Amino acid sequence: MLRRASILVLFISVCAASVLAQQTTTTTQQPAAPKTHLQVGQAAPDFTLTDTAGKEVKLSDFKGKKNVVLAFYVLAFTGG
Amino acid sequence: MDSFAANKRYAEDLAVTFPLLSDWHRKVVKDYGLLDEKSGYSRRATFVIDKDGKITHIEEGRSAIDPTGAYQACSVFEKKKAG
Repeated sequence: MLRRASILVLFISVCAASVLAQQTTTTTQQPAAPKTHLQVGQAAPDFTLTDTAGKEVKLSDFKGKKNVVLAFYVLAFTGG
Repeated sequence: MDSFAANKRYAEDLAVTFPLLSDWHRKVVKDYGLLDEKSGYSRRATFVIDKDGKITHIEEGRSAIDPTGAYQACSVFEKKKAG
């Protein structure tokens, strides 16, 4: 049933080899946890980011068209 | 924050079928309140956003790895559609 839903998953890769390279300590622990200030019912902040095909993707382009799942995935390409 | 090139390789390896975006400048994680300025890292999180652009579900931290919460939030859209 879910397959029929007009839901788009935007997967945002959030972390980086560059960040790891900047680390001066040998820490491998998870970062301290800042709780988001956003709450259910609030408008999601708009953004424009580039996908793997080089195409710009804007969150507001899906407004009125699709529901969106936005997954922030830390250390996506580090095996972490 | 991963580069465009790293994401491209990652997407190819996993054969993902959804847009994989790069927040290289960490602006979006900052806007979404996920960036720890001190470490430069972000927290894992999943947001479900409806067609009106409103947030309907937030999952933060380690539990964000488990898609169950987001799946349940999405099933609400299905129920609305069916109802």
